[in-house]
Amino acid sequence: MPIVLSNIFRFILLVLFQVLVLNNIQFLGYINPYLYILFIIALPVRTPRWFSLILAFAIGLTIDIFSNTLGIHAFATVLIAFLRNGLIKIFTSIEEGSNPTPSFYTFGVGAYIKYVVLFVFIHHSILFYLEAFSFAHFWIISAKIILSSLLTILLILGIQSIKSK
Amino acid sequence: MKNLINFLIQYSVVFLFLFLEIISVTLIVKNQEYQKSVFLSSSNSMVSGLYEWSNSVVEFFKLRTANESLSEENTALKNQIVNLQNKLSTLLPEASDSLRFRIPPEMEYQFISAKVINSSTNKLQNYITINKGIIDGVKPDMGVVSDEGVVGIVKTVSNRFAVVIPILNPKIQISCKFKRNNYNGSLIWSGEDYRYANLTDIARHVQLSLGDTLVTSGLVASTFPEGIPVGIIEDFNIKESDSYYNIKVKLAVSFRTLSHVKVINYLNYKEQKNLELSSEEQ
Repeated sequence: MPIVLSNIFRFILLVLFQVLVLNNIQFLGYINPYLYILFIIALPVRTPRWFSLILAFAIGLTIDIFSNTLGIHAFATVLIAFLRNGLIKIFTSIEEGSNPTPSFYTFGVGAYIKYVVLFVFIHHSILFYLEAFSFAHFWIISAKIILSSLLTILLILGIQSIKSK
Repeated sequence: MKNLINFLIQYSVVFLFLFLEIISVTLIVKNQEYQKSVFLSSSNSMVSGLYEWSNSVVEFFKLRTANESLSEENTALKNQIVNLQNKLSTLLPEASDSLRFRIPPEMEYQFISAKVINSSTNKLQNYITINKGIIDGVKPDMGVVSDEGVVGIVKTVSNRFAVVIPILNPKIQISCKFKRNNYNGSLIWSGEDYRYANLTDIARHVQLSLGDTLVTSGLVASTFPEGIPVGIIEDFNIKESDSYYNIKVKLAVSFRTLSHVKVINYLNYKEQKNLELSSEEQ
């Protein structure tokens, strides 16, 4: 039960933080972190896949409604939620029966960093290209993707290293 | 049959995945027809309520600059009143025998003041939400300005809120002209920097210089009256082979600090639109 509660709490907190604070942040005109995907990154490993897809759709659509970008965030988050189990399998070996929440302690530092980096990068790439809906601004968008991903990754790793076990 | 059911169960997650992605894509495509999606956008009352609350906190920090610009505008208006009174006193004897009062062209516009409760500047397509709607007389296609210059055009309206498409969105073009020599062209945002936009359609023979002021042309009179500042020329160049200039314009409005705007209500909008439509039909 505490896991469910802490995830609901995390959902609300991340949406509010994303909408009220991060959406107003803009370094150098390019960088715009999307920290809310930490919610999907940090879902327990054995969450049923169909359930994590629906949760991803819910948080994506919520962010969409608040930032007038209907469907874009929902698409990107559902896609990474679909790829999540594969990513976890590539980088870690979790024993049958255990159901840890992804973090430095459960995955190991190296594996967790790789998992987060790939996760964020895929999400941001899809998000920014979908937002532009063309390859016309290829270099601008690529710069946006790389810089924003870096900031999101740093934020996520920072938050995870502060959090106690 | 049993195989089919097994197959469906085995790949149920994939089907769910595809189903959700199709919904998302449908939403993205539908979103192009912006009017239909008021319900799922920031002019939705719950969402805008949250934004209004957060804005009331942020606005406190903008009070000082807002005050300054208000007092500047105040003095400018007062000066104008004095000027107009002077003019009026000289015109008064002639006006006595005029038959009927008519609003002069400069005054066919009314302003509805509104507050920005949500805005973005870092997307490729930006939107602004303001806290005035149908109840206050805001309608789609009305122009929006701030004390500094042109902001954008109203797109969708709900009862108490409206969504504005600012200059920072490639979906709209603002028709503007040089204050100095009246050549006009249209202004389009390039998607890179919220401080600059590009002016197109200025032919090679036009004389330009850095710092020239751009104002609205008034040709699309239904949205903006003539002469509202848009920006100044920051940089321009032309290739040997081109017949049009490539002009970079520094926008007059600073969209990052925008907090109070005015919606322009053109009183003769209906009459003009009807006339134009009827002459097209003939």
